[in-house]
Amino acid sequence: MERYDIAILGTGPAGVSAAITATIRNKKIILIGSADLSLKMVKAHEIQNYPGLPHIKGEDMAAAFKGHLDSMGIEITEDRISSVYAMGDYFVLQGGEMMYEATTVILASGVNTSRSLPGEDDFLGRGVSYCATCDAPLYRGKKTAVVGYNEKEEAEARFLSEVCEEVLYFPMYTVDDAADISERFGARTRLIREKVIGIESGSSMQSKVLRTDAGNTYEVSGVFVLRESVAPDKLIPGIEVRDNHVAVDRQMATSLPGCFAAGDVTGTPYQYIKSAGEGNVAALSAVKYLDELKRINA
Amino acid sequence: MVTKIVNNDMSAAAAAPVALIDFSAVWCGPCKMVSPVIDSLSEKYAGKIEFFNADVDENMDLAAKYGIQNIPSLMLLKNGEAVDMKVGFMPEPILAKWIDSQI
Repeated sequence: MERYDIAILGTGPAGVSAAITATIRNKKIILIGSADLSLKMVKAHEIQNYPGLPHIKGEDMAAAFKGHLDSMGIEITEDRISSVYAMGDYFVLQGGEMMYEATTVILASGVNTSRSLPGEDDFLGRGVSYCATCDAPLYRGKKTAVVGYNEKEEAEARFLSEVCEEVLYFPMYTVDDAADISERFGARTRLIREKVIGIESGSSMQSKVLRTDAGNTYEVSGVFVLRESVAPDKLIPGIEVRDNHVAVDRQMATSLPGCFAAGDVTGTPYQYIKSAGEGNVAALSAVKYLDELKRINA
Repeated sequence: MVTKIVNNDMSAAAAAPVALIDFSAVWCGPCKMVSPVIDSLSEKYAGKIEFFNADVDENMDLAAKYGIQNIPSLMLLKNGEAVDMKVGFMPEPILAKWIDSQI
């Protein structure tokens, strides 16, 4: 597999800035995120404190960033990374279908706004899973639930529906009146238009109960909680987190050697210029790390 | 060295003073990633801990007995008694720290 020097996760100001600096320093990079850049940035009404770009609208700032990337030939790889594995002297990134390898990683994935459901963290690994394709076969012939936070998760429900006896799908977003429910969610999927408010232990060790805002409870063997952005310590197992943010030092180094972080993911203040600055520092730190690694291995 | 458990037979793991069983499956991505980490740990702890791998599809009774609900699950046994379990991929230094705190 092709191994990149630096894999940059996220296309907000931190990721874009890191990509620009790493490219200037002649490193082989892969920038992974949305081709339209950070949706949060695009939607920003006005940014007033970014030097050189006074009173700029979010969409104009995104266009300016995109123009900068284009001028340097930096491409964006559109993918969604579900896990980053620290393998020792390199990292493996699990995308939707592709896997990527990189010597260093810069995590610039923004802030995780969705909070865990009550009980979710307690039962994670003991009946609660974030990976349908990983754990589905453990629930062959059993009843499972999917708590889906966006439409992309419907594909996971379809997959589960092929192996499970029944799948209860709880959309945490609005689903239009769909006539093709079985086609969209899977043949053995039941769509339940109630919001899950908690996960509790069930009548046996092997079961869990979902409580909903409609006052109902549903007992299943396994619960799959599927959302767009995962908390950093779930994205990168083993990374140190402080107050819901990735712990970094002044060089933007995380607790895992070779892994750096920048932008909102490292904590407040959530400011574009702070993110861009941190992206720059993270890239320079990654370059230094790579140079040292090269010297050791020489 | 990592010994494969077959036919739900974990007598060798139960007989070892300290054993680590990696419950996994061939179709599971994180299991594939943790496998070389387990191999490396088995070299480092050779003579102290015996390492085993149990494919959950081939050892369903064993997986059910220990209530394995997510994989990979790494179970640490002392004299045949399960003392602790870690679920999911973890980098080697963190797993080593966990093992050291348990033995």
